[in-house]
Amino acid sequence: MNIDDLTRTSGEWLRGTGPESDIVMCSRIRLARNLADFPFTNRAGRREKNEIEAAVAASIEQGKIELFVQDVNNLSNLDRQFLFERQLISRELRDAEGPRGVAFSPTEDVSVMINEEDHLRIQVMHSGLSLGSVWDRINYIDDRLEERLDYAFSPRLGYLTACPTNVGTGIRVGVLVHLPALVQTKQIEKVFRALQKINLAVRGLYGEGTQASGDFYQISNQQTLGKSEQDLIRNLSEVVPQIIQYERGARQALVGEQRRQYLHDQVSRAYGVLKTAHTISSEETMLLLSSVRMGINLGLIDDLEIPIVNELFIHTQPAHLQKIQGRILETDERNVARASYLRNRLSNGRHDPKNDG
Amino acid sequence: MTCQNCKREATVHVTEEINGKRREMHLCARCAREAGYDSVDDPPMFGLEGILQSFILAHVGEMVGELSRRFCPLCGLKFMDFRGQGRLGCPNDYAMFDHGLAPIVRRVQGASRHVGKIPARRGAAAAGLNRLKLRAQLRDAIEREDFEEAARLRDRLRPAEDDR
Repeated sequence: MNIDDLTRTSGEWLRGTGPESDIVMCSRIRLARNLADFPFTNRAGRREKNEIEAAVAASIEQGKIELFVQDVNNLSNLDRQFLFERQLISRELRDAEGPRGVAFSPTEDVSVMINEEDHLRIQVMHSGLSLGSVWDRINYIDDRLEERLDYAFSPRLGYLTACPTNVGTGIRVGVLVHLPALVQTKQIEKVFRALQKINLAVRGLYGEGTQASGDFYQISNQQTLGKSEQDLIRNLSEVVPQIIQYERGARQALVGEQRRQYLHDQVSRAYGVLKTAHTISSEETMLLLSSVRMGINLGLIDDLEIPIVNELFIHTQPAHLQKIQGRILETDERNVARASYLRNRLSNGRHDPKNDG
Repeated sequence: MTCQNCKREATVHVTEEINGKRREMHLCARCAREAGYDSVDDPPMFGLEGILQSFILAHVGEMVGELSRRFCPLCGLKFMDFRGQGRLGCPNDYAMFDHGLAPIVRRVQGASRHVGKIPARRGAAAAGLNRLKLRAQLRDAIEREDFEEAARLRDRLRPAEDDR
């Protein structure tokens, strides 16, 4: 398996299955772990970072954990951006310097970043609202890694992390939700404020500090100390259904008697532009795909499936287009390539995606 | 004067008052570092950073005053580095700067004790801490260009790694 193979597939978390998957794109948990016998990444020397990367890779191999280990330091900028768009590595790992890597499963549900802010950042993502199965999987991977790695741990403070905001469980429990109707009806700010009051963080699709794109938002816990993993998972699992209910309520208001035709018009125009445009920016694509995604879920579009739309959010990102085309493209060229890719994927009698581009 | 811990020349002289009792210590640079006393040879801080530090010292009181002199012998981090960057340098820092960190952790986390998963292998963290110390000595040896010592330390680190 190598990076180029990934251009022909997509992560399992995009397949649009699992509970509430019309609104909850995926559930995600990450664990921060550090080796007890090395300085944290920001204080580790080059040689030490190499040793950390080797130790983690060895534990994966010897433990027969089915993960593909990819060095990130020697990758091209394009490949690093590709892994970032794919949600397999973070912005921080993409932009860092020095020895670092990522290990991921063939279905891309697991990714283990090496020498991020912490020595290990283990991540598991599953489609839909499925935090229970995500926890089972990540807990298992963590146990397997720990068989061969000495984790930094204190009985009082738990797993020790480079930043005290992660100390304790080192866990971040999150869901990626699609909230176009709450955005459109201008209720989203109210929801954010309510979430912040109960100590939950809201971020955009591509993590901290990014503008929410395509009406996707990640909602996650902030506290990591003093509550068990199960409690933190339960907290979020109890809040998400309320957000889902608000979004459904807002959608119903949008398709209510008087307004249905306006929404139907908006959705159909979005679909039409995506199917016929000859040049299109990333932002416009995200905006229109978001409308189309909601349109499918409301039964306003019936000849397109959710997994394809989910995949298009990722595959129309800049590095993905360039990997699919097999060459570096300037912004203008990318906009043309993006439109062509969209026309291909959305045309009636759709091509097998494997033969595209 | 010789160091009260080893026979090297004492270069750090500390007078501390703990619970009303005066205590004098005379240490060589290495023992002083291990005891958490910053080297007196460090140049004084000027500019904005110095002003900020004195501001923190003046407003957060004695405890921070003592903390500001502390640094971790295993990774070299000073508590003031942490105040600036928000990142710790190694697992040992949590013990090293406990006084300063505990209130910060309590404030950001709303809790001060871990509840939840614990590693299955007990003692792994303690074994790791020993190797962390060896690695700190290894870095020192390399810096001093004492390659004999460095080779010896690498040998001591190696079997521990192969055991796993």
